[in-house]
Amino acid sequence: MNSVRLLLLTSLIASTAVVRPTAAESARDIVAEAQRRSTTESERYEGLLQTLTGGKKTSEKRWIFERVGAHGQSKSIIRFTAPPEVKGVALLIVNHPERPSDQWMWTPALERDRRIALQDRSTRFFGTDFSFEDLEQRDVDQYDHMLLGEEMIDGALTWRIQSTPKPSRSSQYTKTIVWIRQDNYATARIDSYEIASVARRLQLSDIRQVQGVWTAHETVMTDLRRGSTTRLSLDKVQYNLPMKEDSFTLQALRRQ
Amino acid sequence: MKRIFALALAAQVWAAHGHAQVLSERGFVDGRAFLFPQTTPTDTTRAVGDLLIREELFLKPTNWLQLAGGADLRANSHDQVDERWRLDWKDRRVLRPPLSLRRLTATVTLGPFAVDIGKQFIRWGRADVTYPTDRFAPRDYITVIDPELLGVTGIRPSIQIGSESFEAVWLPELTPSRLPLLEQRWTFLPSEAAALDIIDRGSRIGSTPQYGARWRHTGGRLESALSYFDGTNHLPNVNAVVDPVKSALEILRVYPRIRMYGADAAIPTSEVTLKLEAAYVTSPPRATEEYLLYVVEAERQVGEWLLDAGYAGDVVTRRAPFTGEPFAPDRGLARALIARAAYTIDPRRTMAIEGAIRQTGNGVYLRAEYSSAIGRYWRVTVSGVELNGEDDDFLGQYRRNSHAVVALRFSF
Repeated sequence: MNSVRLLLLTSLIASTAVVRPTAAESARDIVAEAQRRSTTESERYEGLLQTLTGGKKTSEKRWIFERVGAHGQSKSIIRFTAPPEVKGVALLIVNHPERPSDQWMWTPALERDRRIALQDRSTRFFGTDFSFEDLEQRDVDQYDHMLLGEEMIDGALTWRIQSTPKPSRSSQYTKTIVWIRQDNYATARIDSYEIASVARRLQLSDIRQVQGVWTAHETVMTDLRRGSTTRLSLDKVQYNLPMKEDSFTLQALRRQ
Repeated sequence: MKRIFALALAAQVWAAHGHAQVLSERGFVDGRAFLFPQTTPTDTTRAVGDLLIREELFLKPTNWLQLAGGADLRANSHDQVDERWRLDWKDRRVLRPPLSLRRLTATVTLGPFAVDIGKQFIRWGRADVTYPTDRFAPRDYITVIDPELLGVTGIRPSIQIGSESFEAVWLPELTPSRLPLLEQRWTFLPSEAAALDIIDRGSRIGSTPQYGARWRHTGGRLESALSYFDGTNHLPNVNAVVDPVKSALEILRVYPRIRMYGADAAIPTSEVTLKLEAAYVTSPPRATEEYLLYVVEAERQVGEWLLDAGYAGDVVTRRAPFTGEPFAPDRGLARALIARAAYTIDPRRTMAIEGAIRQTGNGVYLRAEYSSAIGRYWRVTVSGVELNGEDDDFLGQYRRNSHAVVALRFSF
């Protein structure tokens, strides 16, 4: 009898583990699924960046973004196309699964590249409210995840998940809270914390499918300490274009 | 000039009609005024106006080929631009050409291998203060402290595999740096020479080609490079001889053959990025002195501030028989402490202050700059430069050249 009870108890524990996993495992699974659904071989879009202070537009920049690979195995190049005085400025981002990305900036006026040092990642990227670190592609395994609950965002039910960077993933942020929509696993919002307060808030909207991938076409980054906002609008988003890794090197960066 | 504008307009129209992926262009019109409070024994002009119009085109007809071309159109109120109107392909003359080819390069890419052929810019230096290993980057030193890069003509094959890259450079001939004009304030002459006629005996430049190679490693914890150069220095030894009969000062520029063994590194730490760059320059024909030139810098971004401080030093390892006084702005900041602080006020406005002080205190350089964008196309920049020191110091000799600059740029 005791052995039957033990067997039942063991079965119960096992079935509970499958059906109702612990919050930590569940959160990781959600983030991993969101990452899987957004994984593509490559990506290209034209971006419009508008910086607003006190609701008033202070600057506008345009760039072309190209990525090969996905998440911790990806490489990206951002090339500014407007305004005229920043045309040709480019940023190469080489993401790694186990550590922060390597980044280099190409400045045509100097005809040379400059490495963006680790301690510089927290600084604003070209006067926008994005920091260099915010331009990296995250990888699920760089963080410890915890499910905090559920919440409605823009009429959609979301999971609210806390992601804390692992020691190998040096970050300016002590943690991020990510809202992932339950209907399509698209990210709706990210609050990035420095110690106990939110430093930056990323809100993603106009989420539409492009080649089967739910893609936010409007992202708004707010620097809550400065009170300024940068809106990034994506246009002509394309996935899985034929791209070569050789186009994402320092050699390629200086080819304007 | 009409042709340049027509070309620029055609490029704009082409790009605007959806061909941005294969053709891009950029350019600007830059006008600036230099105001000098003091005259010098050889130059009494205190206000100089300068105009530069630049247009560059980049065409990528296929995945493996890219073409780049650019031209400069110049004018100057102080005779720094040649009056003869013709397209200068090489840009190797004493005066700035009114119309010059800035770059014309074909880049062929095959997998990890690429080769750049034509007139191009080659930068090797890593440091920001002075550039010991930058041997393929001659500059326009007409206004010594604010030099502009000159393109060089040659072939540059390179290969990148993973975190390692290797490049070789071959230039059939030297492109010398453009020197300060003899009758103008950036050529320092002792006061006793003011009464003498100046006779320019020209330049003695060898016809040998330039070679070089650089290996670069880009790791996560360390970025480093080793480089080698064999060719002619783009900076000359200036031989000045007084002819008492003619009551004249005869000046001859001699460009010595040199070899350079260089190394540089960037080490990102948790607090600062350390930048190290060193070059050991030898002279196989013993035509000039041999020396080690090095720079140590620490860079740190703090909020909206970019801070950079360092020391540049040199060690002369062998003196050569006197072959003239080297004109060496690259060594002109050696044995000096250098610092720079740049502050981004907002997305449109920046300010910066930089300075250098010789360890002996004999030379001081200080620059303060404020820059602001106006609308989408315009930028105004105001700067002030203070130079001070002794006659025998590279910086100090220009102490009468402290000045203010107002620049207005229209980018298109």
